[in-house]
Amino acid sequence: MESFDKKPMFAAMKLRLQNSWMFVAFFIGFFLVWEYSVIFFDIPLYILTPPSLIVEKGAADLDRLLYYTYVTGTEVVLGYGVAVILALPLGLAIAFSSLLKRTIYPFIVCIEMVPKIAFAPLFISWLGFGLLPKVIIVFLVCFFPIVLNAILAFSSLSEELTLFCRSTGAGVWRTFFKVRLPAALPQCFVGFKYAAINATVGAAIAEFIGSDKGLGFYIQIVTGNMRPDLAFAGIFFLTLLGLSLFGIVTLAERLLIPWHISVRRT
Amino acid sequence: MSHHIEFAGLKKVFGTGPDAVQAFGPVDLSIAEGEFISLLGPSGCGKSTLMMMTSGLLEATEGTVTIGGSQVKGPQTDIGVMFQDNTLVPWRTVRGNVELQLEMRGKSLKEFSDKIDNLLASVHLDDFADRHPYELSGGMQQRAAFCQAMVHDPKTMLLDEPLGKLDAMTRERIRSDLQRLWMQERATVIFVTHSIEEAVQLSTKVAVITPRPGTIERIIEIDLPFPRDFDVKNSPEFTAHVREIQEIFRGYGVI
Repeated sequence: MESFDKKPMFAAMKLRLQNSWMFVAFFIGFFLVWEYSVIFFDIPLYILTPPSLIVEKGAADLDRLLYYTYVTGTEVVLGYGVAVILALPLGLAIAFSSLLKRTIYPFIVCIEMVPKIAFAPLFISWLGFGLLPKVIIVFLVCFFPIVLNAILAFSSLSEELTLFCRSTGAGVWRTFFKVRLPAALPQCFVGFKYAAINATVGAAIAEFIGSDKGLGFYIQIVTGNMRPDLAFAGIFFLTLLGLSLFGIVTLAERLLIPWHISVRRT
Repeated sequence: MSHHIEFAGLKKVFGTGPDAVQAFGPVDLSIAEGEFISLLGPSGCGKSTLMMMTSGLLEATEGTVTIGGSQVKGPQTDIGVMFQDNTLVPWRTVRGNVELQLEMRGKSLKEFSDKIDNLLASVHLDDFADRHPYELSGGMQQRAAFCQAMVHDPKTMLLDEPLGKLDAMTRERIRSDLQRLWMQERATVIFVTHSIEEAVQLSTKVAVITPRPGTIERIIEIDLPFPRDFDVKNSPEFTAHVREIQEIFRGYGVI
């Protein structure tokens, strides 16, 4: 876990950039087509605005956008953080307790089938327009993927390794920290990443339903005012928020499990 | 105290009632200290079941296993185990994996430092000590796994088809590595395989196991000099042992 050379990683990144020029060209092409279609087809600005105008108008409203990014970001980070802190130990407990596996586990699987976002109006009616109902909804959409993947992670140590651990006579804690925990991390990260994608979606929808600030609120209000330019600017910041969270989780994954096949480059 | 292994009326039944499957036994067998005994038989004859019962990782339905005079009642820690799928963990280097065995047992790494060096050198892995398992070939991984399984000086080694997943050529090479390690350490080895030639080459004794339920059909002493290199394998005595075992399996319609 310690001796991974960083240099080949940058070399690999450079190589990837070199290989990605086609993607970059396509990306630029996409925005060019968008820009000139709006002009060419004479689309009214209240239906669709060209990217250049989105940048211009968005920049003019930057203060509000940044503040709302902060608001939504707080909801996302709190909801996600609490989900990780609660789901990981619970997943661990369920994986190792046959009692919990027969009681709480099926319950969680059932709840997982319910679209969590459908609870949003209820939470808002119970708890008002503030931060808390949003945090709860972000928490709900993040909690289940983390807990389910954690259960899978901690109950799928190979039979050979299980026997190896037993044959050494090592105690529960030593076995956990030396073998079970590192072996479970890759699968845990599947949950962390999935939840990171869910988090901003949850926050935005919660804000659509009832709020007086945040990016979801912003997108809804400006759309109502026939300002798709500002709506796209809001979407841009929401995307940035989601990408940042996903990026942080991916970075943590690289640092914690550089040996795993999903991370390493050979 | 001699460290011999004794099976008495050992039997394993899986399931109960009309669905019960007698997987193994009853078997009586005595293995002397320092012996290399192969359990040779076709797939599903209960060889692995016997290994698991010996290590105390699986409870016997009837009968007893005794190691060094004391009856096996739970997981044995004075053993080294190895399986077809090795127990190298991907987050540690080769050396780190060998050290894992010691760390799990709370032993001092310093004390065993030379031992690790020697073991890795004797299986030609000294240059790969700092590599991770996924950077090694299948054969190199199994050689690293041998070091992991014997670094703590176990008196008994249980090897459950450790060469099973390797290609024929790699297998040939690793057999001689294994033989050298055994000659060096002289642990009591129980080795599960379904290769007749492998069993004859490596073992002091071959226990031929016939299936359903697995029982020991015959025990054959292989009285050939060690190390058993290419010349020994071409000797008429070697060939005669191989043929004798083939005849047994042919009689059972296995081959």
